[in-house]
Amino acid sequence: MKYVLLFIRDEANALDEGRYAAIDAWFGELGKQGKVLSGEELQTPATATTIRWSDGRPMVTDGPFMEAKETVAGFVTIDAADLDEAIAIAKRWPVQDQAVEIRPVLSHDDMPNHPVG
Amino acid sequence: MTISDPTGDAMTAVFRDEVGPICGSLVRMTGDFDLAEDLVQDAVVIALQRWPVEGVPDRPAAWLLQTARRRAIDRLRRDTAYRAKLQLLTEGWAPAVHPDPDDRLRLLFTCCHPAIAREAQVALTLRAVMGMTTGQIAKAFLVSEATMAQRIVRAKRKIVDARIPYRVPGPDELPDRLAEVLASLYIVFNEGYLGSGPERATSRDLCADALWLCSLVGRLLPEEPEVIALLALMRLHEARRETRFDAGGALVLLRDQDRARWDHAAIAEAGTLLEQARRLGRPGPYWLQAAIAACHAEAVSFEDTDWAQILALYGALVRLNPSPVIRLNRAIALEHVAGPAPAMEELDALRDELDSYHLYWATRAELLRRFGRLDEATAADRRAIELTDNPSERALLEARLEPTVIRVADGANSS
Repeated sequence: MKYVLLFIRDEANALDEGRYAAIDAWFGELGKQGKVLSGEELQTPATATTIRWSDGRPMVTDGPFMEAKETVAGFVTIDAADLDEAIAIAKRWPVQDQAVEIRPVLSHDDMPNHPVG
Repeated sequence: MTISDPTGDAMTAVFRDEVGPICGSLVRMTGDFDLAEDLVQDAVVIALQRWPVEGVPDRPAAWLLQTARRRAIDRLRRDTAYRAKLQLLTEGWAPAVHPDPDDRLRLLFTCCHPAIAREAQVALTLRAVMGMTTGQIAKAFLVSEATMAQRIVRAKRKIVDARIPYRVPGPDELPDRLAEVLASLYIVFNEGYLGSGPERATSRDLCADALWLCSLVGRLLPEEPEVIALLALMRLHEARRETRFDAGGALVLLRDQDRARWDHAAIAEAGTLLEQARRLGRPGPYWLQAAIAACHAEAVSFEDTDWAQILALYGALVRLNPSPVIRLNRAIALEHVAGPAPAMEELDALRDELDSYHLYWATRAELLRRFGRLDEATAADRRAIELTDNPSERALLEARLEPTVIRVADGANSS
């Protein structure tokens, strides 16, 4: 089953070299097991652009969709047997001053009336 | 309050014994927690309608299984989405169950998974493991049946959608996960214990249910000291239960309870359990709480209580968990050992954190009275009354307030 781990970080807490090394090790270990499917680190919320629809018209605005001190700083899609394995993987994430939110990916294959393949 | 209806008691016993294993084996068979739990719940509801009239069947487990199976077939006809899973049930289902004892344990760990909110853990456990109905659980926790049903449905959906596994956690996870299970069991117990009063009559005795569940966990995991310690803790509370209310239904404080009416056999048994737990490992939070309760239970009178020992145990508990409520309790022991001044110092330090906790203000009021600061004591008691919803506790605080109020009023009249 696929899960997305959302890495939540206080923007003020930039990562230093030492922590990047630890993160690389985390990715390396999961990669060897074939459990990482994809992932990205995001630039700061200051670089975000948000589009909202008002009466069907797209409006482009500066900034993230929600102003908050803690935002999604990156994400990774993993392949885990169940939530317990996803939790165990997330617990090993080496940057402990932030939260990791685990979201199961909705599988459209299981849905009725949905064209598969 | 417990019911004396023999059919009711017999049914409760049957549900406790049979529902967990049936539910557990169905989850294992179908791999679908939500479906399996629903089928068993359907069977429980039908049993609750029919057994009081027809009597409890000779082989209640087989009856419940058969009923769940018929419900499965009904659903199969209605709902094609479940077809594959239900076919497993209707074809390969042997009429006799030989429940795997671990099924109940798996079920318990699934219901009490940390990814499920605590209140839903408790509700799911009572339903899936104990065979309580949603209506009974809602009544016990004083919420509407619709609210409780929604809570349960959301939790079950999460188990399925997020794929919470049906298993006993491995040795590295077990301590944390077991703590989660025990916390839920203790909530069930406390709800029965603290919520039990003259005005709350539920059809199930939650204390008895929690005790039963805890001893079940103890049988399944016999080497875990905290399970045995929690069992001892519950037994010690239970031993004093009858004396917590007077004939008029008013709450009686520990110091005023009739110690002759405590269940001394149960207290002695809890002492044996504590000794057994201590040999199995380091004292954990439940062991320390139970040891404190044992100090109270074994004291011949309130005056004879070994407060120095209680203070030491609270000290150990604070080191494990420095929560403000535990520090408040330690302050009470400190008062008995070292007098009101150091206790008041500790209370002052806790004020910000416990400002909206009624027992903080009730304790503060007692200490203030020791110093003769009666006006401040009255104000503190009033604050405690404002902050509590529990009618028995309110009544006790109000009764305590009365003489002080009269005294203050007299003073006002004479001036």
